[in-house]
Amino acid sequence: MPVIALEEVSKLYGFGDATTVALDEITLNIEPGEFVAVMGPSGSGKSTLMNIIGLLDRPTHGIYELNGRSVSRLRPNQSAKARRDTIGFVFQSFNLLPRLNVLENVALPLAYKGMLHSRRLKRAADMLERVGLGDREYFMPRQLSGGQAQRVAIARALVNNPHILIADEPTGNLDSAASRLVMELLSDIHKSGTTILMVTHNPELTRYATRVVFMHDGSIVADEQSEIGDIPKLARKTHYSIPKTTEEDDLAGVSALMQAIPEKDEAQKKAVKKKKPKAKIFRPRATKRGKR
Amino acid sequence: MLLARNLKIAIDSIRSAKWRSLLTMLGIIIGVVSVVTTVSIGEGVKTQVKDQITRLGPDLITIRPGKVVNRDTAGHVSSVNLFPSAGTAAFNESDWKAMQNTPGLRAVVPFNVVTGVPSTTERSMDNSFIVGATTNVPEVLNHKVEFGEFFNEGDVNKRVAVIGKRVAEQLFAENVPIGKIMEIRGQQFVVRGVFEEFATSPLTTNTDYNTAVFIPYETSKHISNNQVQIYQVLAKPIDPVAVNGVTDALHQSILTARAGQDDFTILKQDENLAIANNILTLLTGLIAGIAAISLIVGGIGIMNIMLVSVTERTREIGIRKAVGATNKQIMSQFLVEAAVLSLVGGIIGVVISILANYMLRIFTSLQPVITVPITLVAITVALVVGIVFGVTPALRAARKDPIHALRYE
Ligand SMILES: Nc1ncnc2c1ncn2[C@@H]1O[C@H](COP(=O)(O)OP(=O)(O)OP(=O)(O)O)[C@@H](O)[C@H]1O
Ligand SMILES: [Mg+2]
Repeated sequence: MPVIALEEVSKLYGFGDATTVALDEITLNIEPGEFVAVMGPSGSGKSTLMNIIGLLDRPTHGIYELNGRSVSRLRPNQSAKARRDTIGFVFQSFNLLPRLNVLENVALPLAYKGMLHSRRLKRAADMLERVGLGDREYFMPRQLSGGQAQRVAIARALVNNPHILIADEPTGNLDSAASRLVMELLSDIHKSGTTILMVTHNPELTRYATRVVFMHDGSIVADEQSEIGDIPKLARKTHYSIPKTTEEDDLAGVSALMQAIPEKDEAQKKAVKKKKPKAKIFRPRATKRGKR
Repeated sequence: MLLARNLKIAIDSIRSAKWRSLLTMLGIIIGVVSVVTTVSIGEGVKTQVKDQITRLGPDLITIRPGKVVNRDTAGHVSSVNLFPSAGTAAFNESDWKAMQNTPGLRAVVPFNVVTGVPSTTERSMDNSFIVGATTNVPEVLNHKVEFGEFFNEGDVNKRVAVIGKRVAEQLFAENVPIGKIMEIRGQQFVVRGVFEEFATSPLTTNTDYNTAVFIPYETSKHISNNQVQIYQVLAKPIDPVAVNGVTDALHQSILTARAGQDDFTILKQDENLAIANNILTLLTGLIAGIAAISLIVGGIGIMNIMLVSVTERTREIGIRKAVGATNKQIMSQFLVEAAVLSLVGGIIGVVISILANYMLRIFTSLQPVITVPITLVAITVALVVGIVFGVTPALRAARKDPIHALRYE
């Protein structure tokens, strides 16, 4: 049974003429233990997808089942609890609370669970040990490097033993050395059985993933299994196509990246659906009007 | 558990913005200080008035022209006229004689006002008042003459005077001006005695006998062309326990003397006390009520700052929600913060009130009394104000959409 099962999930913003389709009838199943890398140009709906899977947001249409339970219509209170107990978040901007020290930051989710103070700090300390920051317990977030801050954030995401770890561009603010450390950590966590969803713009990082999903204009345009250690074909293509952009492409903005987006047939079997004509990808951003 | 953690968060956030928190609490502090101080001044004045009245003796009967109080059918004071009708005539001599002839009384002293300003060759004193009275004044006022003596039966037609402490100081600039001459309405009077200091109570209209000049009743009639204006008669019963029967008899006598006109008031000391208390309670209540408005203003201040705080901490709220905080948990975090702010403000207010209390005792004649109940009430009210005005900001925090909150810069 998949941990995450999305069926024709859509997310619309605004209404009338100003409607933006951030997610366009996405169907996606994720099995336990997968490490899914989500790629795609800016505005393609990656974060929106992560937020819906992470129960921070609700789909406008469609069905979302988490661990076999329908969660598309949870009340805020219920989704907060589900979030607390099953999902860990890692953000690009770390999102540590500046006024709490490292240990308290890591212990935060446990506090909302109602765990006793001493037990909570003990668990948080163990978690910090695991991310290699056992000696930084009483540092304040501002005293950490970016890489350290992100590892603290990961410790916080893991402290509740979540089934799923969602990381939205976790290395987006880090240099390559720090990125590597963070990725090794995620890889460890993956090996211990946690399902991971990670948004990234860096094709190199797909080496750690077991599956790569490509998004464009709110749809999944390609979905490819990959061996750990390999960069999937499509991701590599994305990467290496960048230097080949022409001046016209620059004028078209994001279009340069998009040229690397595979044709439907090329993306074959796993590609979920793609109803859009190729020309469409040259539209600026993902703003589509009056589509529905 | 949750409360303890929220308390810690609240204290952290208050400490991280000390000045702002202090300014936020200012409204509450001022409110608490003004309410506690006015009430404690009121309490103090009440005790002072009570002291003064008990010092006069519990069996003293006061008879005044005009309806000072209204009574119900059972004879209990039902309401007080703060301004008894000005048109009512003062008592005249036959009224007083009627009172004097009422059985059961041992001393019936008329207080006949004489207009005029006493003066010596050097000074005059226009804030004093001249009273023509009989020889029993020390008895009815339950007060001793400190120097010299009060005029006696042999002095009824003489020009002698017994004065209060202030008169001695202001008119003669000495403590014992016995035998000195003062002039009243063109006549010379010899000072016979000086009263002991009378206790006064601030904020009441009770007569301050320290500024009084007592002269014999007959003499006072003489120097004012036989015009008699008795503004009060003080009497003592022979048997202190029989006050009630005596007042009824007095009522009948005066009614007869005034041809059935029921336009006077007979007050026993306990009634006097009750009236003074009533008026004071009303007054302090009124002032404290006005002061309480600043508590409301303080509450609005808290709401204002909390709203700013919620906006500033939007991202924090987003993060807390992302890691699993429910709306209720966020709400209680901010409610506790508002409550702590107002509680601390309330406590600071009480501490300042206690200091203000000492200052008032040292630098004024007021003797304010801070009681435990009033401080508890003030702190509780402050706390309630904080919670009530904290609800809106806390709700706003709780209802924030986590995604928008996380994006907030
Ligand atoms: N609150 C919102 N109101 C209106 N439109 C929104 C809102 N949030 C997202 N969108 C739109 O939804 C689309 C998808 O946004 P999303 O943030 O998911 O993109 P993304 O793939 O994460 O991009 P990036 O790589 O830049 O982070 C965009 O077109 C965006 O403008
Ligand atoms: Mg994004």
